Amino acid sequence: MKRTRWIEVRGWSLTSPYLIFTLIFFIIPLIWGIVLLFTNWNLISPHRDFVGFANFIEALKSPKVHAAFFTTYKVMAIFIPTVLTSSLAIALLINSIPRLKGLISVGFFLPYLVSGVAVALVVNGVLSYNSPLSPMFRRLFGCVPDWFGNSTLAVMVISLMITWKLSGYYALIFLSGLSSIPKELYEAADIDGAGWWTKLFKITIPMLYPALYTVIILAVGLMFGIFTEPYMLTGGGPDLATHTWVLEIYYQAFSSMRAGYASMIALINATVTFISIIIIRKIMEGWGKRHGWT
Amino acid sequence: MKKLVVLLSVLALMLAAVAVVSTAAPINVTYWTAPNPTQEVFWRDLAEKFNASQDEINVYVTAMVETPTSESTITNAIAGGKAPASSGNIFPGFGATLVNSEALVALDTLPGWDELVQKRAMGEIVEGWKFADGHVYILPIYANAMLFGWRIDILKELGFNEPPTTYSGIMDVGAALKAEYPDKFLMARDALINPTWWQRWFDFFMLYDAASDGQPFVTGSKVTANDEAVIAVFQFYGDLKANDYLLTQKATSPFETGLAVWRDLGPWSFPGWKENWPELVLNETFVTAPPPLPDDVTLAAGAQPKTFADAKGLVVYAQRSAEEQAAIWEFIKWVFTDPINDRAWVDATGMLPMRGDLTTNATFAKVFENNPALKGYADEMAYAVPAMANDKFADIQTALGEEGLIPVILGKKTPEQGWADAKAAIEAILAR
Repeated sequence: MKRTRWIEVRGWSLTSPYLIFTLIFFIIPLIWGIVLLFTNWNLISPHRDFVGFANFIEALKSPKVHAAFFTTYKVMAIFIPTVLTSSLAIALLINSIPRLKGLISVGFFLPYLVSGVAVALVVNGVLSYNSPLSPMFRRLFGCVPDWFGNSTLAVMVISLMITWKLSGYYALIFLSGLSSIPKELYEAADIDGAGWWTKLFKITIPMLYPALYTVIILAVGLMFGIFTEPYMLTGGGPDLATHTWVLEIYYQAFSSMRAGYASMIALINATVTFISIIIIRKIMEGWGKRHGWT
Repeated sequence: MKKLVVLLSVLALMLAAVAVVSTAAPINVTYWTAPNPTQEVFWRDLAEKFNASQDEINVYVTAMVETPTSESTITNAIAGGKAPASSGNIFPGFGATLVNSEALVALDTLPGWDELVQKRAMGEIVEGWKFADGHVYILPIYANAMLFGWRIDILKELGFNEPPTTYSGIMDVGAALKAEYPDKFLMARDALINPTWWQRWFDFFMLYDAASDGQPFVTGSKVTANDEAVIAVFQFYGDLKANDYLLTQKATSPFETGLAVWRDLGPWSFPGWKENWPELVLNETFVTAPPPLPDDVTLAAGAQPKTFADAKGLVVYAQRSAEEQAAIWEFIKWVFTDPINDRAWVDATGMLPMRGDLTTNATFAKVFENNPALKGYADEMAYAVPAMANDKFADIQTALGEEGLIPVILGKKTPEQGWADAKAAIEAILAR
């Protein structure tokens, strides 16, 4: 009896740092956020009115929330294919190198560590009207493209910036997946006369299912938290084309001082993220099942 | 028994000594300065001098964190019960949020206010800083009456010896510029299509304040803007874009490199120019000028067009105890009743203190001798209109850009339609 109690105490003691962390940084803010949802409080006023579902109705009708919803999927439509292709290509490249794999992997991982603000400043300079690259753009396109004034181009630039940042990170996940594929499968395919592309699509990609699953879930989740790139480069414009969920939450909370309304948008964002990830999971699991993964 | 009495007496004396020491201990108060190295140095230096000049008050100066914004840092501090005794960097719009939240002390109720106003020659200035309840909550520290900069060297090449003063005059310069230099622009400002609220201060409000002679944009919960002036400003920017005189793509230092010949210009640019663009010399390569006017607007003789003023001040927080409020107020009075400190402010920051005697007080004569470019800003001070003192400032200015100015510039709305939509959106915000 005494021993069981000691085991219980030890268990609670060992898990307490995580439990305390969760309580302070997740549970209490979550409860506080739920309370805020139904108020018009600005965080500092002594007066706080209960507004019922007014914040919810306003958020559902808001063109900016609609814009944030669609921007996420527009960026996702560019980001997911490009990041999967580039990170898989990097992983295959590193995997085929006989030596210094670790060092080269770190090289590709470095963009992940670079500050988003610094990258945005560099991109801003490189794509500016009078940048050293503008003569090249003039030769290629006959003009300097309005990278941040054109809705399509602005979405494309932001998607590609995030792709650049994350390709090396996702490549590491793919690399670990590649190392666990049995060599015998490729040897058998070689005997059957399969080419490189056949082996890629029939062996490598299906066998990378666990890594692919992880990367896609991470990438989809990330799309709902984009902030630095549009904040630094476009402010959400042109015409709300790059207006994201977090940008809207930030503006409402810190510019408009509407903590209650910002909390409501955050809750809607969390719900949309959750539903999107569930759908992607179902699709991925269906694909995995077809390739023998259960 | 005797020993006990002696012991108790000694203990009582020690306790009394501790009490005396503790009552004599100075009051510690904190002042938050803007996160700007020059302002930080200025305030730290003054706090040190003040602390050395007396024993009752210790002022600690800390730069406020600007992540994500200085306003949110102040909000978080108040929400967490950790507001400083006083802070700077407060503009009227955010001041209105704080006043509505009962977070500020009315400065005109504090002892010595009248003397401070008189010694700093701020009588007329503070009238414009009164809130709806008739009290002054922000002590105006500095104002940058915004001007436009013109590349006079390029203008002279085109045959213009002075900057244009009207919209049609600007169009004439644009036509001449494009004829001579097809790759150059009158103005390069990507922020004109960026909906971030504060950008409107430096494009829309500079021209609007001039065109409307400073008519308030919003009064209380009503839009009181001059419709004709707003439409004229929208039309003007739309015309600049339609004629390819306006570049809304991002460009690196367009005015400095001569890609554009016209820009909004605050005095904070000059220290950087001195270091990085020494070829930019007042009256040789550039000049400053007040905002241009629509062709049908005329001014009274001797008057100048009004302009937006990037003006900020300091506040005292209601969250701190009365003792701390009184202590920081003593420091504030000590700083601002001596013009030498305002002179030190200009020398340190390059920004003009908000006092009515700037051009007449001998203390500041040397400032303009050493920095002739600042003279234009001092002259314009009397015509400067501060930002709107409405707590919904961010939403109002965002709507102005998103519904009005930006679609007009992009050719998606007529100026009339843009203003009708923006006005409706702003009215909805004010009714919220």
